[in-house]
Amino acid sequence: MVYEQGEEVLPGAVHGHRLSTVVPSSVTGEVDYPLSDADLAFKLHYLRGVYYYPPGDVTRGITTKVIKDPMFPWLDDYFPVAGRVRRDAADVAAGEGGHPPRPYIKCNDCGVRIVEAKCDRDMAEWLRDEAPGRLSQLCYDKVLGPELFFSPLLYVQITNFKCGGLALGFSWAHLIGDVASAATCFNKWAQILSGKKPEPTVLTPENMPGHSPAGATAPRSVKQVGPIEDHWIVPAGRDMACYSFHVTEPTLKKLQQQAAVATGTFELVAALMWQTVAKIRGGVETVTVVKNDAAARSGRALANEMKVGYVEASGSSPAKADVAELAALLAKGVVDETAAVAAFPGDVLVYGGAHLTLVDMEQVDVYGLEIKGQRPVHVEYGMDGVGEEGAVLVQPDADGRGRTVTAVLPRDEIGSLRAALQDA
Amino acid sequence: MSSPPPPLGNNGLLKNVHRFVAAVAVPLAAAALAAAARLLPQEATSGWLRDARPVHLFLAVFLPAAAATVYLLLRPRAVYLVDYACFRTAPNCRVPFSTFLEHAKQVPALNERSIRFMTKLLERSGLGEETCLPPAHHYIPTYKYCTLDAARGEVDLVVFGALDDLFAKTGLSPSAIDILVVNCSLFCPTPSFVDMIINRYKLRSDVRSVHLAGMGCSAGIVSVGLARSLLQVAPENSHALVVSTETITPNYYVGSERAMLLPNCLFRIGGAAALLSNSPSKARFRLKHVVRTLTGAQDSAYACVFQEEDDVGNVGINLSKDLMTIAGNALKANITAIGPLVLPASEQLMFAAAFIARKVLGGGRFRPYIPDFRTAFEHFCIHAGGRAVIDELQRSLGLSDEQVEASRMALHRFGNTSSSSLWYELAYIEAKGRMRRGDRVWMIGFGSGFKCNSAAWECIQPAANAEGPWATCIHRYPVDIPDVLKH
Repeated sequence: MVYEQGEEVLPGAVHGHRLSTVVPSSVTGEVDYPLSDADLAFKLHYLRGVYYYPPGDVTRGITTKVIKDPMFPWLDDYFPVAGRVRRDAADVAAGEGGHPPRPYIKCNDCGVRIVEAKCDRDMAEWLRDEAPGRLSQLCYDKVLGPELFFSPLLYVQITNFKCGGLALGFSWAHLIGDVASAATCFNKWAQILSGKKPEPTVLTPENMPGHSPAGATAPRSVKQVGPIEDHWIVPAGRDMACYSFHVTEPTLKKLQQQAAVATGTFELVAALMWQTVAKIRGGVETVTVVKNDAAARSGRALANEMKVGYVEASGSSPAKADVAELAALLAKGVVDETAAVAAFPGDVLVYGGAHLTLVDMEQVDVYGLEIKGQRPVHVEYGMDGVGEEGAVLVQPDADGRGRTVTAVLPRDEIGSLRAALQDA
Repeated sequence: MSSPPPPLGNNGLLKNVHRFVAAVAVPLAAAALAAAARLLPQEATSGWLRDARPVHLFLAVFLPAAAATVYLLLRPRAVYLVDYACFRTAPNCRVPFSTFLEHAKQVPALNERSIRFMTKLLERSGLGEETCLPPAHHYIPTYKYCTLDAARGEVDLVVFGALDDLFAKTGLSPSAIDILVVNCSLFCPTPSFVDMIINRYKLRSDVRSVHLAGMGCSAGIVSVGLARSLLQVAPENSHALVVSTETITPNYYVGSERAMLLPNCLFRIGGAAALLSNSPSKARFRLKHVVRTLTGAQDSAYACVFQEEDDVGNVGINLSKDLMTIAGNALKANITAIGPLVLPASEQLMFAAAFIARKVLGGGRFRPYIPDFRTAFEHFCIHAGGRAVIDELQRSLGLSDEQVEASRMALHRFGNTSSSSLWYELAYIEAKGRMRRGDRVWMIGFGSGFKCNSAAWECIQPAANAEGPWATCIHRYPVDIPDVLKH
């Protein structure tokens, strides 16, 4: 038992947290970063991404200073990430509508929070355990609020394992950008660390608020909540946890063979998860689908441009349906509601709000975060602020042939999920 | 392995030999001159020369010559500044306003009122958004990581950074340093700063070293004065290293007493190293005067900047409300002392006349005459203690905006770096290319005590380029400093 500051630390837990701040290296000046309607739709969600680096000589040379020093010029390019949320005092519409003024980002160079922590276990052991909730130990689990004006948009946790392995945990407010923006942002930091000059960061054209019809009902993909004041998290009625597991290449091949036509890997894996959760829970006739379409992106470095829609299982219950059938539905039957979700003026939960949410991260280059030439041995992305219905994130794995899946579900469903997956 | 000590004894002996030779040669020459005068043809010399007694003639030549020789031999040696270097703050130590305030909010001792007070202070302080704090102060909560190790780390960063720069600039080997004077007021570890420098740069075992602690923000000039005194009795071609810095790490005030929160807001990381010598070779400035005024005999001046514990036991520096008045009085005393040394005769006469008039005809009729120091100096380096200090001095000395620009801009870019601020200001003037050969510089420092110290320099060789702490940002200066900074 280790005692720290008079508190007991459970063996194997992550402890010794030291917080500091990193700011942009040059003065940004009086700049405001407006948030788009799509940005505000995702404000209640937080990405939690962990990158694991194996023990070795290279990793031993990755000290806190080596990690921090490139962040200063990195934040010169990504200065909105170092800013803080403010509310637009000149928002006339707010006064009339009776809701709080529109938020924006004040680029005041306040900075990004860095957390240094230790773990007395071996990283290999930690990964093998596949413990649910391990993500929240390696990512600082803060959200925006209750002191909204003093909440960082990004936390980076540096966890050193006993064996010398290193875990980098990113806690990113979904408000400022989707998972593709986040992964590109982190990759750029790694490029600066390696001494490469990254591509210029494009933050134009400026976000313009859309004009939404007042009093519209929430689109089917999402669930209306709130009104949310200054604490941007909706406490789920049940205790949610992130559980990451690997879908092997043989499993994928088997799923592909079962499908009549060539189907995308995301659709197959997502369909499998849909069916499994339906078996555990019952129901789940409708799912929300969030996809990343690289071709349709505007090229802005920070943007929420994922496509949001829903799929209804027609006829038979998903628990009894064929995986191939569900996959086909996911491929063709998605009703796109992206614009409607953005335009809706109220506060919504996109992930896990109205239905189980299936997230496509196929085209997100998470394994590109190379530090001094060292590729991560494993990457997993989970999420906080997910509603009770849960979410499933389908991501690339280390060699690109299988898939890593993170299921964000109520903790008591995770046991059943593990069992069901073992049988499959 | 230290090199063998230089032949100090030999140099001293040589000096005495010179004195003996001069003492013998002068009267001999005088006697010879007197004798020769008598032997010249009668037409060439005037009557009284012939009629004068030999002894009188001898004395008439010998006495003035002897006096001149004695004066030349005994006058204090001139001291020169070979070069100086300031610690270049790195962007990874930068603390913008918003970060400073966000960190302050996490300190449990600081309540809403204290945070509001610090916010108002920062907005009106004249500091910019690029000032830097030591690495330990970037942690939350700040005071938890301000260990002795962290303080030494800051010294490593600042002092060794400035010294590395200085040795590179001057090309001097550390083993050629004969005198080492360091001043750092609030951090006094054992072994001291001078020992840290000796250890790091492998200085000689006979270096004359002194560390000045507790002497406040004007200690930079105190160090220069001390180095000058040591150089004047040292052998020819001696070198003295003067290091001025203030270590911020151990001095974060963790309480809520408002007068004691001021230093937290204003003091920033900084340091400077200067190489002085008693030989003019390669020198860039000549040190003309060092005038120190101490007003500690008065209780109010003594207690004006006072390190003490607050009601709860937290240690901090308490700044009294009449700081500006006391500073003004100390300045008047210092001006009265330095005026006669630097002002031209015309100004001195005007000052004397006004002084007499006030005394004779009553103080009400005549306002005190403020001598125009712009006739004595081309450049002014006023300690960047805070916006109020610079404003007050500009007003009392009647200086233009351009003359206090160096002080204002140093405060904006670097914050209050305590005793090294004068060197950052000198670096600003040189980086702007405003220094010319023959220009005179006045450095004025203020500090606890209450002390007002002045140093007067004359430029021999301006800097060749803008290399130094201002290199990356001089093109952006001067900036317009708003009354209230928006953040």
